Amino acid sequence: MKTLKKKIESSFDNINITVTDNNMDISIDKNGIVTLLSFLKNMGYEHLALISCVDLPDEKLLEIVYILSAYMENDKKFTEKEARNIIVKTRIPRDKANFVTVIDIFENAEPYERELHELFGIHFQGHPRLTPLFLELEYKIPPFRKDFDTRKFVKQFFENIPAVE
Amino acid sequence: MDRNQIKKWFKSPAKMGHKYSLHAIYFCTGCGIIEIPPSITARWDAERFGVIPVATPRQANLFLITGYVSTKTLKAIIRTYEQMPEPKFTVGFGSCPINGGMYWDSYNTIKKLDKYIPVDGWIAGCMPRPEAVFVAVTHLWTLIDKDMANGYIKYREKYKYYRANQEKVFGTLDWPPLFS
Amino acid sequence: MRELELYFGPQHLGMVGNFSITLKVEGDRIKKADANPGYLHRGFEKLMEYRTWMQNFPLVCRINVVEPDHIELIYSMGVEKLAGIDVPLRGKFIRSIYCELARVGSHLFGLWAYSNMLGFDTVAQWAMYHRDLVLDLFEELTGARVYHIYIRPGGVRRDFPQGFEDKIISTLHSIGGKVPDYNATFFENRLFEKRAKGVGTLTRENAVKWGAVGHAMRATGMKYDIRKIEPYAAYDQVEWEVPTRNEGDAYSRLLAIRDEMIESVHMIFKLIDKMPKKGAVYTKTPNPFQWKIPAGEAYVRCESSRGELGLYIVSDGGDKPYRVHFRTPSYSHGLTILEKVLEGESIADVGNIMISLYVVAPEIDR
Repeated sequence: MKTLKKKIESSFDNINITVTDNNMDISIDKNGIVTLLSFLKNMGYEHLALISCVDLPDEKLLEIVYILSAYMENDKKFTEKEARNIIVKTRIPRDKANFVTVIDIFENAEPYERELHELFGIHFQGHPRLTPLFLELEYKIPPFRKDFDTRKFVKQFFENIPAVE
Repeated sequence: MDRNQIKKWFKSPAKMGHKYSLHAIYFCTGCGIIEIPPSITARWDAERFGVIPVATPRQANLFLITGYVSTKTLKAIIRTYEQMPEPKFTVGFGSCPINGGMYWDSYNTIKKLDKYIPVDGWIAGCMPRPEAVFVAVTHLWTLIDKDMANGYIKYREKYKYYRANQEKVFGTLDWPPLFS
Repeated sequence: MRELELYFGPQHLGMVGNFSITLKVEGDRIKKADANPGYLHRGFEKLMEYRTWMQNFPLVCRINVVEPDHIELIYSMGVEKLAGIDVPLRGKFIRSIYCELARVGSHLFGLWAYSNMLGFDTVAQWAMYHRDLVLDLFEELTGARVYHIYIRPGGVRRDFPQGFEDKIISTLHSIGGKVPDYNATFFENRLFEKRAKGVGTLTRENAVKWGAVGHAMRATGMKYDIRKIEPYAAYDQVEWEVPTRNEGDAYSRLLAIRDEMIESVHMIFKLIDKMPKKGAVYTKTPNPFQWKIPAGEAYVRCESSRGELGLYIVSDGGDKPYRVHFRTPSYSHGLTILEKVLEGESIADVGNIMISLYVVAPEIDR
């Protein structure tokens, strides 16, 4: 694992890496995401498992998380000491949330980014179709942010509809 | 058959025909779909009660709504219900259509199915067993005998209230009103 | 020829689950397919932020309705990793036996759906009957047929009743005695080969590019199984093999499922032999009303019957989760791979391909 950590640290600056039993955590500035993901894909981490997002309202930031892993066939390419899962994190401002898409590197990132656009309100430049995926109604605040209170919404919207006698 | 049955056959054969051949439409609306295949296959056989699944709403007269209803599914349910020919019967399966169930604070599920389409009976449980489906079918027979399973007549008479509730959820609807 | 737009919608005899696909067809061939999920969206990850750590268990097992056991396992593993709890040895063996029984039941449900769609009604009735025998075992162990809340952080809820291991062995013998009949009726049938060979082919490079996991990846020849790569519970204490096939079409995927079921049954026998006879089955956790877990984050994964299931969980030091995100195997199979594999196939094969990839609709929407 030390060799992989040294290789990444020598090619990128503004980066922070911690290693905990077989997993690696990387935090990087938002301008270096695309080069870092292509670099990791060339090292053999070809499986994009998840793109997720965490809302931090106190610091007025949204944290986007990419999780990569490798298809290890019979453990031929990797030894016991390499990292199994790599978690890459970056932060973007909350008010005007714009980011760049990674579909050119990983083709299966398309539905993940569509879901984040709908539920958190992040706009991805270069995405071919950013249409609604799950939701039917329209909400003023994106539903998964921390300032959307779902119990208040249910009381205002659904309980005002009268029953039919 | 006991003697009472033969008298009922002579009095109103159409009602007896409706009771003993309830064709259920094949629409897997929610969670509850996991207990329907055991009810229609060999171990708990539903065909001895006359219940078999059919392909289109034009051939069905029983609608089993299995589980919770989200807003996108409600549109499909209303269009399917309006295509079924009369007389038609609806049964809500599980605790979620009764008053919201476990997802009472979710922003995407509707809480009471009764406000949007008429429902004749409910089955409680999460999930109900296959035997509960058969008990519900026999209760529905008793209601049909006493002329109390008249949800479709209520839909025809109070259609403007149902339509107003549907429009409160969706805004304007794509299809014209069924009864003017 | 003119192009036509068809809705293979939620109310359809060839659709298992509440899911819809919009097809653009020319004659009988599909030009473009658009998956349309969202009929079962409840907003689980938002609802879980309003309930405490232990109150989330009855909610979490309703994400995948066909096989709720692996999702209870992955949520327990996430909580244990954040809080630093260990599981005793007998608890690990019981977790493995329980998950393998769930895998057998879930594959039998998939066999019902597939053979019903092709028209082989005989094999569908047999598969549903044998799945009911497995559900009888679950009912005796936990009290419910479908949603058994049996796994908790630190182990399992309680020990096996007396004589339960013999009941498992006799049920599996009665299911296993029917395997030659299944082979002769369904898997070696010439009609099944004609309908499934060469349909929905997924090559190795495309499978890596589009994110395939589980048996769809094993049918292209790669031995990718999380139980061997990152072993959890008691999978590293017994010897077993990962079955693979080579062609990548619907025929090899169904045969990979059959081989996996037989391997699971053999594994249960070996686990029952090697299990310690006495011991604790769970470690004690604090009072669930006041349990606060230290701040941190974790990513754990396991192998469910559909493929790789993962969980990303974040805690901020309180008594409720801060952010939970499930990575389910049907997400990439149903939204990316299905749209690309359906181009050029005929309309009659849509259900065939969808069920051989094992797309379960509630897992996509959560």
